[in-house]
Amino acid sequence: MSTAYPLPTNISPTTVANTASLLRIVAFGLISGAAIASRLFAVINFESIIHEFDPWFNYRATRVLAAKGFYEFWNWFDPTAWYPLGRVVGGTVYPGLMATSGVIYNFLHYFNLPVDIRNICVLLAPGFSALTAWATYMFTAEMKDPSAGLLAAAFIGIVPGYISRSVAGSYDNEAIAIFLLMFTFYLWIKALKLGSALFGTLAAVFYFYMVAAWGGYAFITNMIPVHALVLLLMGRFSGRLYVAYCSWYAIGTLSSMQVPFVGFQPVRTSEHMGALGVFGLLQIVAFASLVRSHVSSKQFQNLLAISVVTMGVLGAGAFVVMTYKGWIAPWTGRFYSLWDTGYAKKYIPIIASVSEHQPTAWPSFFMDLQLLIFLFPAGVIMCFRELRDEHVFVIIYAVVASYFAGVMVRLMLTLTPVVCVSAAVALSTLLDTYVEAKEPDVPEERMEANGSSAPDGKKTKKAGGAVGSQASTTAVAAASSAISDFVSATRSSASTPRQKGIWGADTRLVILLNAIGMLVFFVFHCTWVTSNAYSSPSVVLASTNPDGSQHIIDDYREAYYWLRMNTPQDAVVMSWWDYGYQIAGMADRVTLVDNNTWNNTHIATVGKAMSSPEEVAYPILRKHDVDYVLVIFGGLLGYSGDDINKFLWMVRIAQGVWPDEIQEPNYFTPQGEYRVDDRASEAMKTSLMYKMSYYRFSELYGGGNAVDRVRNQQIPKVGPTLDYLEEAFTTENWIVRIYKVRKEDTLGRDLKTANAFAQGKKKKRSKPVSRRRAIV
Amino acid sequence: MKLLGFLPFFALPLAFAATKDIKSQLVSLAATGNCVIRLDASAFDLLTAPNRDWSASIHFTALDKRRRCAPCKEFDPAWNSVAKAWATVPAEQRDNHFFATLDFDEAPTVFQKLNLASAPVVWVYGPTEGPRASARNVPSKYDFSNGFEAEPLAQHLSNHTPIPIPYKAPIDWARWITFISGLLGFALTLRFIAPVLQSRWTWAAITIVTSLTMTGGFMFTRIRGSPYTGADGSWIAGGYQNQFGQEVQVVALIYGTLAFSVVMLTMIVPYQTSPARQRLQVYLWSGVLMLIYSVLVTLFRVKNRGYPFKLLL
Repeated sequence: MSTAYPLPTNISPTTVANTASLLRIVAFGLISGAAIASRLFAVINFESIIHEFDPWFNYRATRVLAAKGFYEFWNWFDPTAWYPLGRVVGGTVYPGLMATSGVIYNFLHYFNLPVDIRNICVLLAPGFSALTAWATYMFTAEMKDPSAGLLAAAFIGIVPGYISRSVAGSYDNEAIAIFLLMFTFYLWIKALKLGSALFGTLAAVFYFYMVAAWGGYAFITNMIPVHALVLLLMGRFSGRLYVAYCSWYAIGTLSSMQVPFVGFQPVRTSEHMGALGVFGLLQIVAFASLVRSHVSSKQFQNLLAISVVTMGVLGAGAFVVMTYKGWIAPWTGRFYSLWDTGYAKKYIPIIASVSEHQPTAWPSFFMDLQLLIFLFPAGVIMCFRELRDEHVFVIIYAVVASYFAGVMVRLMLTLTPVVCVSAAVALSTLLDTYVEAKEPDVPEERMEANGSSAPDGKKTKKAGGAVGSQASTTAVAAASSAISDFVSATRSSASTPRQKGIWGADTRLVILLNAIGMLVFFVFHCTWVTSNAYSSPSVVLASTNPDGSQHIIDDYREAYYWLRMNTPQDAVVMSWWDYGYQIAGMADRVTLVDNNTWNNTHIATVGKAMSSPEEVAYPILRKHDVDYVLVIFGGLLGYSGDDINKFLWMVRIAQGVWPDEIQEPNYFTPQGEYRVDDRASEAMKTSLMYKMSYYRFSELYGGGNAVDRVRNQQIPKVGPTLDYLEEAFTTENWIVRIYKVRKEDTLGRDLKTANAFAQGKKKKRSKPVSRRRAIV
Repeated sequence: MKLLGFLPFFALPLAFAATKDIKSQLVSLAATGNCVIRLDASAFDLLTAPNRDWSASIHFTALDKRRRCAPCKEFDPAWNSVAKAWATVPAEQRDNHFFATLDFDEAPTVFQKLNLASAPVVWVYGPTEGPRASARNVPSKYDFSNGFEAEPLAQHLSNHTPIPIPYKAPIDWARWITFISGLLGFALTLRFIAPVLQSRWTWAAITIVTSLTMTGGFMFTRIRGSPYTGADGSWIAGGYQNQFGQEVQVVALIYGTLAFSVVMLTMIVPYQTSPARQRLQVYLWSGVLMLIYSVLVTLFRVKNRGYPFKLLL
């Protein structure tokens, strides 16, 4: 046996095994370090701060939990959200994340380590990313071997698709959910492989943790049954499958029902019915196979087959009837919109309005996964080659997750683990093949036929006859015989094992250098994407000065702290729902709507107030006791995520509830353009949102041209006037503008008239005072 | 002189009679026009008479070929089917709401008068008198953001009719027949295609094609309805958050080629029986890998201008 490069011969197998395991541990430590470190860009570039929107609520809830204890948190009714309705927080939240931080907090304090709860929240996601890397390692090791596992762990540690939701400060449910997802899957595979009720139960326990942590648990609820079903259809029913599935399903479902927010959904909604159906099916199949093993009569076996089919049909029929009768709730809108992609836009504009619910264009895939995205199909093919039970799981996961990730940007997160696993399998197989030192023997008869292509062509014709590749006889041997080789390789997997190996050191070197080069490029890519795209807290913005130094734009916090310091504790602040959690978290004031978009009508009310003229909006504001209105305006700085750009969604959502009063086309010019300059439509110009955004904007430019730098349009010199609101505060860069709602005039006049009077204008007799109409 | 003073009292029932008259005229028009009134300028004035106790939904369109209004043609059947559904309503309700169509070529003056620059448009005129009279005298416009289907139209118009329009989507027989015959055909040929279905490589091909098209952004083009190519013939859309239909094919093909070369290197090349041929294949597929990967990165740089890295190209 020849080798491509010299191998040391005097090492005992135990030394090799020990060194390998030591190297694995070291590698894994380095991977964890890299995973955590690459998520700290945000802390280094900015500061230890909670990011974005939802994390602010989680942070606020965690503070309550840490300060008052779990039971107080469980019963927490928050009167300051969704004013005047309030929100039962304990029953409308997935408490897993807060409970995790609370446990860590109490643990550290028990050992007299006075760590601030904020720092725990900020660093929770990076910490859990190391655990995710470990879970992915375990999962991939089940698929192939530990070396593939290490590659997968390294991939998931630094891949931007996962970093995007787990940088330091991104204190959201996904931070721990991906670890739980991968670990539950690992335990399921383990349970299935061993037929172990212990691992099935462990899978159920982590499934319960997942249910308590993230609404995406429905993905597990459906993935595992689909896997079981496909195995059944492939004729791979076994006692192992039965034990694993039943222990997971029974314990997992019962425990998931303990989460108040989930309650009886696992037995009443369509999302969970698949799992129940497969559970029933498994019982029938297990019963049938048990009976079949005990009886021999042909008639009885026929009877058995018929009765099994009847039972299945009856069960499916009962399911349909129960859905029809309303005992089982149909698909929820959020879930349904994954299948019928036009559904959300038509019926639930709130879901469609969220930017992370938009479909994914291909550059996002490449940005988030880079080289993994094309190693992924190769890995799936390798799964098909072996096709053990656990490979079937990866294949189903790959198809389902790539569809979901295409429909919604945020579901890229569920695709990322399977891409890492599958790409690791592909790359590790490649490296295994080309690192292997052994060279195959050169067969005798091939030696002499080496130079001429005639025998090759004959062989090609014989093997490739199945696919009819006639042309291959004349084509270049290397390229064309590849197809026939492919066919024969796939054919011969069952027959006699063919000799396999690589000759020469140069070929090995080419492949290895190529692979290392691609991996280095991947690391550079990930670092660049993470530092540039995914590490912005979005509460604090950054721009670059002409000299290259960083300029921090801190308007949000400026505004929220202004609110906190200058307004009464019980002041009600109205804003679009995006900013509800931040106002509650940072300004500690009462909000009308927030990111927990449970009440469409309430949000539509705010949308209506924003998109109506002042006279119409004022009664709405007064009826909701609104003291301050907050808008985000990016026109001065060119900050494109502002309220004018979100304005159409406000209009659409309001239109959904008041189709007669608010109509989207009215906010476009007759040519169908969305404009804010002097050609803007009348409805646009008189809307409260427009007025609040551009109030006194042109004054800023003296006599010059006031240009909105987001929309690149010139704002009219004579800006809008406000009668029912007055400007209270505008931040340094005008990103946040706060208006105070005026109280009714003390003399009982209309505020418009009172204003005109105060400005010394003559009261116009001709126009009757507009009556305030009650809103419905 | 006294007689003159009484004149208004005589005029009053006359006026009533006039509106009654208009209404019966409209009812007969609707009956002749197969429940849709074909309007011209004078009929339009009748229908939108200032004191009316009926409501009317008017469909402004331009069906003539010269106008080249594709949406008009698309919307017309939906409109007619909703109007037909309304015809099944009992007469006393039916005669309180009219469906009418006004073609641009039959009454261009009306289009000018109403300042309409596009078609199709649906306006609903509410009644100004009677129990259903509304304060708003401006017609409400139907918003086509839900597409040109009949279902949302019927839903919207039901807000303005005395009773909801009993519109039911017709059963799509063609679709059912195709579906059932497809199923039957599948069942019949099952015996012959079973080996294909049981082959793992059939399923591998399905899986790979699905995941390649999905990661190529197919769902984006479907949901957003982006065109196959740009208006100027370019096949690559500018901007990171946008793409054309052809990009799906190109990107999926690139991913597929890259994945294929990796598969070749791991699953085929090691089984070669001659060292020279194997070496040639190793270099070939490594070259393909590097070259196509460079193409992919270049393509990505077009989409994301700020991307700092590049490979060979």
